Amino acid sequence: MIGGTLSKWTMSYFAIAITWLIAAEALMAAGFGFPAADVAAADTLVIVHMVCIGWLSMAMCGALFQFVPVLVGKPLFDERWELPALVLLTAGLTALLAGFLVLGGRLPAGLWLLPLAATLLAAGFALVVADLGLTVWRARPPVGPAHFVLAGLVSLCATVALGTGFAWSLSGHGGEELGKVLATGVPLHAIAGLGGWLTLTAMGVSYRLLSMFMLAPDVDGKKSRLTLAAGSAAIGVAVAGGLFAIEAEAGLGIVLAAAAAFGLATFALYGRDVAALYRNRKRRQLELNTKMAAYGFASLAAAALLGIALVATGSFAAHVGAFAFLVAFGWLSGLVLAKLYKIVAFLTWLETYGPAMGRLPTPRVQDLVAEGRASKWFAVYFVSVWGGTASLLFGQASVFRGAAAVMTLATAGIVQELIRTRRLADVAEPLRLPNGTQPPCLLYSRT
Amino acid sequence: MTDDLVARIREALRVVIDPELGHNVVDLGFLYRITVDQGDVRIVMTATTKGCPAAAFLREGVAASTAQVEGVRSVDVEMTFDPPWTPSCIEPAVRSSLGFANVN
Repeated sequence: MIGGTLSKWTMSYFAIAITWLIAAEALMAAGFGFPAADVAAADTLVIVHMVCIGWLSMAMCGALFQFVPVLVGKPLFDERWELPALVLLTAGLTALLAGFLVLGGRLPAGLWLLPLAATLLAAGFALVVADLGLTVWRARPPVGPAHFVLAGLVSLCATVALGTGFAWSLSGHGGEELGKVLATGVPLHAIAGLGGWLTLTAMGVSYRLLSMFMLAPDVDGKKSRLTLAAGSAAIGVAVAGGLFAIEAEAGLGIVLAAAAAFGLATFALYGRDVAALYRNRKRRQLELNTKMAAYGFASLAAAALLGIALVATGSFAAHVGAFAFLVAFGWLSGLVLAKLYKIVAFLTWLETYGPAMGRLPTPRVQDLVAEGRASKWFAVYFVSVWGGTASLLFGQASVFRGAAAVMTLATAGIVQELIRTRRLADVAEPLRLPNGTQPPCLLYSRT
Repeated sequence: MTDDLVARIREALRVVIDPELGHNVVDLGFLYRITVDQGDVRIVMTATTKGCPAAAFLREGVAASTAQVEGVRSVDVEMTFDPPWTPSCIEPAVRSSLGFANVN
């Protein structure tokens, strides 16, 4: 397969993901969860899982169904698994959030919802992992960024396994052993999810997308393998070492310190790789998506520096919420929103004008977007994320709510741009819909 | 006669654009070889990036556009990435307008 095919349900994953993001931002603006509640409170768990599963994981799964076949040069193992996975993940997340609301006393008793949710989510993610894993297996041995995706998928399995254990434990059916893991092992779940599944996968996909859209030579294989080795070591040490330490009742301090050292090395190596991609690009003029992705990378660097400063001053535990907020919204969400802006336009172009190529004059991908208008929303988004992080660090809860409200507004602005792209609203006539082309559907792709 | 047909095919292929770069495949230097044997046309072409989802559409677009040229009996389009495309393949007048670095 030299070219790729279009994934039918990628747009549906994106639409549902964005809905969860806006809902989470609106709840933060309303004062729900951290910092008004404790960072480990049930309300905070609602927000965290809306963001990590609903927004980031859904968006990542949708992107991977489209881009893993591109990465490995083989078709997706089975396209029919995409929709059932989406349904299972959505149902599982809804049950999980309801279970957390029960846990926090906001809904009447029904803690059985937690193991039910874990089962639905595990089934959904199993479909995703199997479909993507078997696609990579078809193209064995995997090359380049596909290794990052595999490491991300392994981390996803670890995250889901830990989360499932927690769900059974919280519902009162976990037994003593799971209770021990739940008591101190939540950081392992968070590191496997945010660090392994979401960050390693985002890194792998970014290598490919940046080189494709900036026409930059691929990162040297030896260099990217070293970056991945450091990242895998960080996750492996945290999860495997952490479980061993919990079993041995030895405390997590040394394990987390070792994982943090590997994590910092990963960020430094990844920064070197990304800088090389930008430096060696053949297209000198940067498009909005690559400019905004740079703010995501800057947020990752800022998070790394913040982490070092907090550990050095002995205040990491007190400010873990601010650190996680910057990672989730500055780095991961910033990068995903920037790349969505490009991917939606690119896939919409392929769907609408690809079949007409050679038969009719067609617009460019850039004719589907209005970067000047969108850049304002992105600027507002990143400024509000950085302001929100600062307000958390300085304990200004009301300022944080204001920042979250502005983030919600900015996200809505970006979404409006995505909808305009999908509706071809910025494509000038007569190229917009020449005879023989069909307008795309908003929520799925005709393939 | 053959040269004339090749020239007409190249002209017809100006309707096929790379969606990212926004220029036609002729000026971008995507067409490595066009050979004609009594109306049977064989085109060897490339694209900017291996694995790009647009590559299949580009190949189909080139085939469809060529098939419409008078005198063409059959079309066979091969997509290759050996040698890989570089900006030096672009017509000089177009290259600077696309914002490519001179060093590349």
